[in-house]
Amino acid sequence: MIVHRGKTIEEVIELLAKYKDSKIIAGGTDVILDIKDNKIFPEALIDISSIEELKGIELKGDFIEIGAGTTFTEIAEDEIFEKNLHGLKKACKLIGSPQIRNRGTVGGNIVNGSPAADSIPPLLCLESTLIFESLEGIRKVKLEDYLKSKYRIKEHELLTKIRFKNPEGLLNFIKLAIRKALAISRMSIATLIELDEEEKVKDIKVASGSLGRYPMRELEVEEFLLGTILGEYTVDEAVNILQNAMEKRLKGRPTLPYKKRAVKSLLKEALNQRIRSSRRVIS
Amino acid sequence: MRMSLDIVGKNMIRVDALSKVTGKAIYPADVYMDNMLYGKTLRSKVPHAYITVNTKEAENIDGVIKIFTCKDVPTNEHGVVFKDHEVFCSKKVRRIGDPIAFVVATDIKTCDLALEKIKVNYEEIEGVFDPISAMKEDAPKVHEGNNIMYHYKLRKGDTEKGFESSYVIAENTYKTHMVDHAFLQPESGVSYIDEEGRVTVVVATQYPHYDREEIARALNISEDEIRIINASIGGAFGGREDISLQIHLALAAKEIKRPIKVVYSREESFISHSKRHPLIMKYKTGADKNGKLLAMEADIIGDTGAYASWATNVLRKAGVHATGPYYIPNVKVDSIAVYTNNPFAGAMRGFGATQPPIAYEQQMDILAEELGIDPITIRMKNMFKKGSETATGQILTESVPLEECLNKVLEDMDLNLDRKGAY
Amino acid sequence: MIEIQLTVNGKDYTVNIEEDKRLLDVLREDLGFTGVKEGCSEGECGACTVIMDGKTVNSCMVMGFQANGSNIVTIEGLEKDGQLHPIQQAFIDIGAVQCGYCTPGMILSAKALLDKNPNPTKEEIREGISGNLCRCTGYSKIVKAVEKARGYEDES
Repeated sequence: MIVHRGKTIEEVIELLAKYKDSKIIAGGTDVILDIKDNKIFPEALIDISSIEELKGIELKGDFIEIGAGTTFTEIAEDEIFEKNLHGLKKACKLIGSPQIRNRGTVGGNIVNGSPAADSIPPLLCLESTLIFESLEGIRKVKLEDYLKSKYRIKEHELLTKIRFKNPEGLLNFIKLAIRKALAISRMSIATLIELDEEEKVKDIKVASGSLGRYPMRELEVEEFLLGTILGEYTVDEAVNILQNAMEKRLKGRPTLPYKKRAVKSLLKEALNQRIRSSRRVIS
Repeated sequence: MRMSLDIVGKNMIRVDALSKVTGKAIYPADVYMDNMLYGKTLRSKVPHAYITVNTKEAENIDGVIKIFTCKDVPTNEHGVVFKDHEVFCSKKVRRIGDPIAFVVATDIKTCDLALEKIKVNYEEIEGVFDPISAMKEDAPKVHEGNNIMYHYKLRKGDTEKGFESSYVIAENTYKTHMVDHAFLQPESGVSYIDEEGRVTVVVATQYPHYDREEIARALNISEDEIRIINASIGGAFGGREDISLQIHLALAAKEIKRPIKVVYSREESFISHSKRHPLIMKYKTGADKNGKLLAMEADIIGDTGAYASWATNVLRKAGVHATGPYYIPNVKVDSIAVYTNNPFAGAMRGFGATQPPIAYEQQMDILAEELGIDPITIRMKNMFKKGSETATGQILTESVPLEECLNKVLEDMDLNLDRKGAY
Repeated sequence: MIEIQLTVNGKDYTVNIEEDKRLLDVLREDLGFTGVKEGCSEGECGACTVIMDGKTVNSCMVMGFQANGSNIVTIEGLEKDGQLHPIQQAFIDIGAVQCGYCTPGMILSAKALLDKNPNPTKEEIREGISGNLCRCTGYSKIVKAVEKARGYEDES
């Protein structure tokens, strides 16, 4: 195995073109396990953990750009996620442990493609775009599309940025896991909700983790809740809709009965938080 | 008169605390010696099979010093109570993880390569994974003879009469699961021949003296030719009571006469050492109208997996503690340990006293509910006090501060229970 | 083999390592810092925690070559001029040490926390050591020890 420590994006995409069988390593929290367990045998291992241009969070007009090499700790500590984008901060803070968050990167979370990747549901609500670079140039893909297999990362590409519009609404994230630290999500829900002056839902995005083969937007739930006032009846109905959608996707899985029951409190909490915080904002 | 106490109630500083906070404490894996070789164990991938082993190709790998199998062990057996483990399986494997061979090579990567090249032919046979099925006459046999390897019986008074006079009877079955100790330091050890020519094993163990006996027996040498050095132990909780790598290491050092080191991965640690016995506990408990216990019957079945380890002691203890800290005049307990092809069970924190509370305390709650009394009252009525007689006939003559304890808990919890008619 | 340079506990080292070696193995085998412990090899237990460029990492989850040029602190680097670090002293005084295998990682996680936040709440301490498992279940005393050490003045 050849190992290489990349210093610039340009250098890395050249290496990716040169070595057909290569693997990118950033935080290494997944890749190292695969190497240790003899699951992968890359010819070249290319480290991007010290490339400065892949790091950081930038506000560019209405848009926010996160470098793919930004660690979960860096996201959780950035002031930009203190207010309405708190859901992304929360998702990143609930990943692994301090040690894992100090190494693991948002880019790694996305390209590793786990259905339980915690940073993805909030990024889905934000309708994020992924920016890939290769010798062929730049490719932009909606995160939502990316998760469907045919848009996935190509062998000679590097994920460099995640980009989304700074929203008006409030972003939330709720995760269910067997304990607080070092636990992979059993399931998670992110919501992005904007209410109008009459407290009706003006805009809503709902995304789930581990309720299907990959994290996804829950469009039927969104459609139903749009224009409603979030109250007991509407929330219960939204739970029903989500449960029916899960039923189709997870049919035959032994975890389905458990997940169907558990999703109730999860979605309720994700929506009710919004009710509480919107009232707080108004009063 | 109050005894003057030098230790109890005082803040004592652990003798090993300084070495542990500075990172200087030496656990077996921290030992590095000149000219040191590495060892790795080949383990069964199936739970029940006849095996034949061919090490020829592996032996020819550059860097492989020697591969040990059952043929190299003078007395191929060990075990804390019954010698039902083999040092290396000879004809049959009884669980996933049973040791088959031990490779010694110049480095770990060569060990791994050799493990891949050892050919094991598994002729799989039907296994048994549930202790209740394993008790049947026609169940596959894990060892020679019956799978029921221990039966503890406790009889006191006449339970039938006790149930006849009972106003309420609760009958339920409770199950507990297997638990791993998951001590933080996976098994590791280093062996060498010391300056006096003794086979020396540096290991983290709960029983250095047993280890020496077991090595002496397996290698057919005298105990004074063996030295066990107990290094710092990274947690044990009962999981380091059985032999893991001690005999493998001693055998290799005796034959090769060079230092040899073994470090288990977390996976190997999980696969190789004992577990807490999963118990199936069928309980029948009867009480009179006032909540006074009159009779209890318990059938306890413990899955000890492929080997006995401490099963006799653990299931005896489960049986002895089956009533919990409650006086019951009529008691019948049958506590049984059964071989299966599951991971073997042994000692773990509590040693058989940990599982029964799941059953007997829930029985108490259920009886209380049936009788419409609160869960504290029913316990207060029945709990052991100084002078009580246990189900095994022991008179508790020393301090039994259970009532005091429960009262203190009640006080601190500020529970607002309806205590009318409690006593 | 590749050559890497790193600073460990204030001292510079140049070592030739195999490409697939983890930082954990470099520290233990090549440099002799055996206070760094291996517990699970997959980032769950925190026994191999070291401070790398000011942040705690699981050294089983960092490749050796990735550590080139970095500044590492292990448990061996906490004593200064024969004086224990206040966290080490607090662990001894409170009795926060049992089997000791989690202790080096636990102390380093506590140090990284206190370096950043000298006055953490109990909740923040628990969060700060949440990546370190203690199987002897001595968490109460560990938290107590960090509380005792909190507010110390780091001379460095």
